[in-house]
Amino acid sequence: MSLKYGVMGLLAEEPLHGYEVKNRFEAMLGGTWEVNIGQIYTTLQRLERDGLVRPVGERGDRGKLLYEVSDAGRKALNEWLAQPESGPQELREDIYVKLLLAARLANGNLGPLLSRQKRAYLQRLRDLNQLEARARKDGRTDLANLVRGALLHTEADIKWIDELSEMGISGESA
Amino acid sequence: MSELVRLSDTTKVYQGGMTGALNGVSLTVEEGEFTAVMGPSGSGKSTLLNLIAGLDRPTSGGVTVGGSDLGRMGEAALARFRRDHIGFVFQFFHLLPNLTVLENVLIPAQLRSRTSAEARGRELLEQLGIAEVANRYPAKLSGGQQQRVAIARALINQPSLLLADEPTGALDTRSGDQVMELLMALHRQGQTILLVTHDAKLATRYAARVISVLDGKIVDDARLETAERAAADVIRVRGEEARP
Repeated sequence: MSLKYGVMGLLAEEPLHGYEVKNRFEAMLGGTWEVNIGQIYTTLQRLERDGLVRPVGERGDRGKLLYEVSDAGRKALNEWLAQPESGPQELREDIYVKLLLAARLANGNLGPLLSRQKRAYLQRLRDLNQLEARARKDGRTDLANLVRGALLHTEADIKWIDELSEMGISGESA
Repeated sequence: MSELVRLSDTTKVYQGGMTGALNGVSLTVEEGEFTAVMGPSGSGKSTLLNLIAGLDRPTSGGVTVGGSDLGRMGEAALARFRRDHIGFVFQFFHLLPNLTVLENVLIPAQLRSRTSAEARGRELLEQLGIAEVANRYPAKLSGGQQQRVAIARALINQPSLLLADEPTGALDTRSGDQVMELLMALHRQGQTILLVTHDAKLATRYAARVISVLDGKIVDDARLETAERAAADVIRVRGEEARP
């Protein structure tokens, strides 16, 4: 996701100044994405330059400036919302590269690597379960749904590790 | 806490090389633990459960539960052991259709005084939120209610160990969650629980210990932490950000 659309989306609800955008953005994501205020101002300046947001009125107390989304901005936002996510899947975690290297360096004996990784995934699953329960308790269904997405990803990671382990062990005994 | 279950280099071989054999498994379970056992079908996880339940005897190695060596017991002694020490909850409830809910719950309590058993049975039904169906027949109940009856039956003799084999496998998500919350409440009261499941999400949600079984062996025994973590330490959502 891009911060640019996050900022426009919040401004589409009501005009806000930079700090409010930062606070609302972080609250919306339940603390799963922290941004610094500099990034917010840089983003606002670029959006203003591209005609997607514009300042409302003059600078107020302590130099605060409210921004609102322009018609062009609203149009760009709606197009972005309607567009499905496509492109390559991102595998950002080291495990994918570790796996390839370990297969070369350890003559295919991946057992210890896989079981350590599985433990880490099980712990993550437990942490995610707690986070989901907390989000539901707080009435944050939207956030709980986000956590469920992460939960299902981690479940898939565990299945993958299990599959690799099964292949490894049956390969050994054959 | 003291030790409740001990398997030491336990082996179970089936005639004809059937799958599900166990090949030198060692394991201890402490009183009060909530442990999940995971593994693919044929991995030996059900065999492990059956040995601990006294439904099956090891080919070699020991199985000790609550100080009793199950490998040395005869059939009659094993049956008494199961009745007095083990509560069993299955995927498909296994209730007797021609008995009422309360009668089903009282089956394992046959040899105890009728009045005290019936009082405990009603108390359990109350605790599990199904007191009002005590006199109905299982076929009239929802899956979630039937599983709660099975839990009451499993608890009637105050077992030292509750074994749950895929207890939510036949339930919808909501009833499954309710059943698991009930097991969790029992665990908080001190009940030792061994849960067999293929569902990692369910296992890690309730059990702080997850044992993985594969090809007749325990390949991992993970003790998980229960910490209140900040959201950002669990999930990081990120994307392109404007560079200054």
